[in-house]
Parts: sequence; C-alpha cells; structure tokens
Amino acid sequence: MKEKSVINITDGAAIPLKKDPGLFSAWRIAFFGSLSVLAYLLLSRPKPYVDILKFLPDGILVTFQVTFCSIFFALFLGLITGIGRISRNRLINAIASTYVEVVRGIPLLVQLFYIYYALGRFVRVPDIVAAVIAMSFCYGAYMGEVFRAGIESIDKGQMEAARSLGFNPSQSMFYVILPQAWRTILPPVGNEFIALLKDTSLVSILAVADLLRRGREFASETFTYFETYTLIALIYLLITLILSKLVSIMEERLRYYERH
Amino acid sequence: MRKTIAFVFAALFMFSQAAWARTIVIAQDATWPPMEFVSENKEIIGFSTDFMKAAAKEGGFQAEFKNVAWDGIFAGLDAGKYDAVCSSVTITDERKATMDFSTPYFKVRQALVVPKDSPATRIEDLKGKTAGGQIGTTGYFAIKKVDGVNSKSYDEIGLAMEDLFNGRIDGVVCDDPVAAQYALQKPEYAAKLKIAAVLDTGDEYYGVAVKKGNKEVLDLINKGIEGVITKGLDKELRKKWMGQ
Repeated sequence: MKEKSVINITDGAAIPLKKDPGLFSAWRIAFFGSLSVLAYLLLSRPKPYVDILKFLPDGILVTFQVTFCSIFFALFLGLITGIGRISRNRLINAIASTYVEVVRGIPLLVQLFYIYYALGRFVRVPDIVAAVIAMSFCYGAYMGEVFRAGIESIDKGQMEAARSLGFNPSQSMFYVILPQAWRTILPPVGNEFIALLKDTSLVSILAVADLLRRGREFASETFTYFETYTLIALIYLLITLILSKLVSIMEERLRYYERH
Repeated sequence: MRKTIAFVFAALFMFSQAAWARTIVIAQDATWPPMEFVSENKEIIGFSTDFMKAAAKEGGFQAEFKNVAWDGIFAGLDAGKYDAVCSSVTITDERKATMDFSTPYFKVRQALVVPKDSPATRIEDLKGKTAGGQIGTTGYFAIKKVDGVNSKSYDEIGLAMEDLFNGRIDGVVCDDPVAAQYALQKPEYAAKLKIAAVLDTGDEYYGVAVKKGNKEVLDLINKGIEGVITKGLDKELRKKWMGQ
C-alpha cells in the first residue's frame, strides 16, 4: 500500500490512536481524571465552584460560536488558498503564497489587536465579528497549507486521467482530485479545529465575553483566582478531549474505507 | 571566641539592615491616567506615584514601583509578589474581606463618559445599549448593577475609551479623574467625547491595599499618608496632575 503523506502543521491536541494500550490510555486518564476532579470539586466545595460554573455558560456559548464561525470561513479561505498555492498562474500563486507568509509571520494575538483596534479606526465591526475575521484570516493560511499538502498527495496520474477524459482543470479538481484529497485533509482539519478552539481564548483580550473572560470577570470580583482558573482549565480540557476523541473516531472511519 | 565574634558581626549586620530604610514594593497598574500611567520615558508617573514617593519620605521607607496588570493585581499581592497595591483601589467591603487597607488618600466618584452627540444624562439612559468599564473595577460593577444595560469588561480603561471613540460601545464608566483625563484633556478624544453624568453611587475612597495581616507595611504607609496630608502636599500634587 502506498504511504499516505502525513500532514502536521500545528499542534491541535494529541489525537488518541486505536493502538493505545487498553484501559490506561493517556486519553482515558486525562478524560476520566479531569471529569472526576471536576465532580469532586463541585460536590465537596459547592460554594465557590457551583457559583463559578453558573456564571460561565454564556461564555462557553460564545467560545463555540467564535470557533464554529471561524472554522467555517477558515475552511473556505483555506480551500481557495490551497488551490492558489499550487496554481500555475504566477499572480494567483504569488497572492496566495504571500498571504500565507504574512499571516504565519504575525502572532495571532497581534493580528487580533490589529483587526480590532488598528483597523477599528476605519471600519467599525462588532467585537465577535472582528474576532471571527481575525481567527479565520489566521487559520485560513494554515488550512491553505493543509489543503495544498492534501491535493499534492494525490497522484499526478489522477489529474492526467481526468483531463484526458475531457474534464476541464476546475472540473478535474472538484470532481476527481478533491474528493480523494479529503481523506488526507480531514484529520489535520480536525486537529486545526481543536487548535482553533483553544486559540479562541485569545479573543478575550478584545473584551469578547468568551469562556476565559467570563472566568476573569468572576475572579476579579470575588478574588477566587485559584478556584476559577482551575475550573476554566478543566472545562477547556474536557472540551478538547471530547473533540479529539471525535477526530480519532473520524480517522478510524477513513482508514476503514481505505481498506475496502 | 570565634563564635562570639561571628555573633557580633551577625548582630551588627542585622542592625545595619534595620537602620536602612525598609523597601516597600508597590504594585501599580499604570494604565489609569492621571493617577498612574507610563510616561514617554517608560517610567511610572502620576498622582498616586508622586503621592507614594512623598509618603515614603514622610513614613521613612523606600518606595519601589512595579507595573502590574490590573486583572490579577490582588492575586499577586496575596502571593507576596509585592508588599502593597497603590493603584486607585477603592475601599469596598468585598475587598476589605480579603485584604487590609490604609487610611483613605483620595476621594473619587464614578463618571459616565459618552460621545458628544449622545442624549444620555444618566447611566439608566443607556438601557438596551452597551457600556464598558475596566474588569474588576467599581466602575464596571456599577454598570452591572443597572438593569437593562449591557456591560462589557476591558483589560484596560484605554481600550474601553478607544472602543467608545470608535463607536462600538455607547458609554464608559470610570473614576472621575480618569474620565476627565480622557474626555477633557486628550485633544483627540476631547473632540468627540464628554462626561455625561456623575453616578449616584456615592463617594469612593482610594486606599493602599496590603496583604491581610501585614501590619508592619500598613503602619509605615499609614504614617506616610498622614504626614503627606497634614503637610498639605496632596493639594500640590492635585494641582500638578489635575490642575485643580
């Protein structure tokens, strides 16, 4: 069997492998460990912990909103960038490559500040929209690399075959190449998704009321810093662990189709 | 014999330490002009900085300033990263439960800053709109208490003012000297912003916060503050930083 090219752009989370030894896989230890710590804290000291937890739901909602909107636009932007990066048209290629270079060279935190406060002087967008624009702009570049690697992993013969059957270049791309490339692309996309969810904690700097900011508001009013940040960390951990499990199940499925 | 000599030296060393002025490290969130902010030379300056320097002279200690972000400034005090927080901290009952305060050294009220063309004259006029404040400040708590006004918390008051200036929010609540600094002193903001109202949340008093039970530092600071106020030095500083 031909070795599939492995794409690894950023660290999302450790995706659990099926081969992990039985009961004591790292994922299980982390997941059930954090779950029991959470349960213990809530039951043993309901006074600060339950109050904190009650304060957070709308923050969690905002975190998910920003994540899902950003991933949607980032995928779209990534597809265009990925195709642009392998385009033979010099201009398109240059634009796509420059975009990736520029975005990868600027820290996400600085991009957030730039889009919100620097461009805010000229264009007025609501805070969540600014956050989504910045996140998708940044992750679009990373997604572009994922798409490019995925498309390049498909044998050249596929394109040649499609072209000789009378498909034009874009038809070949959308009907022949991309459906195959999906399999290579999906796992790293899942990984990027988790990385993006974690990075949304940065948008709290824009006064977006996400999970982290809600926690900070609670802590700064009640001075329960230890309790609040413990809970925030546990919630992020549980969310990413659940998502990484989903990604691993998806990967498993894709491998299944590959064999048959 | 040798032990005695060593002991004498150790004792001398200890005494010389005690004779030296005690250094008190004071944390300030230098984003709150004109009370405490960073100058163009990257030094912390402002009313409270000058006030504490004068208090150090009066109280017989050495003041060392440290710039610390507001969000977490009290956690650092609790962790012993510095001895005191002098950063326009209003004395409130909630705060008194977790830390000790010096005698008050300044009186403020909460002011509402709005765009020049806003019809609002009270915070209640912003119903259904959004008002911003710095996270964990009495100004932000005041917004949260008003029903129907959306509150938005910022890391620094300057960022809230910038958002108000850009029209993303409809008002900002903060201590009145700070409101005056932004809405009246800074030419760019002054052209677009105004102080709409002083909130009826009453007078607030700034105090220097120390870790609960740290009487040694508190006594030194109280002695200094008393000296500054009896000599009337604070009035000079007020003129210098607030022009009144």
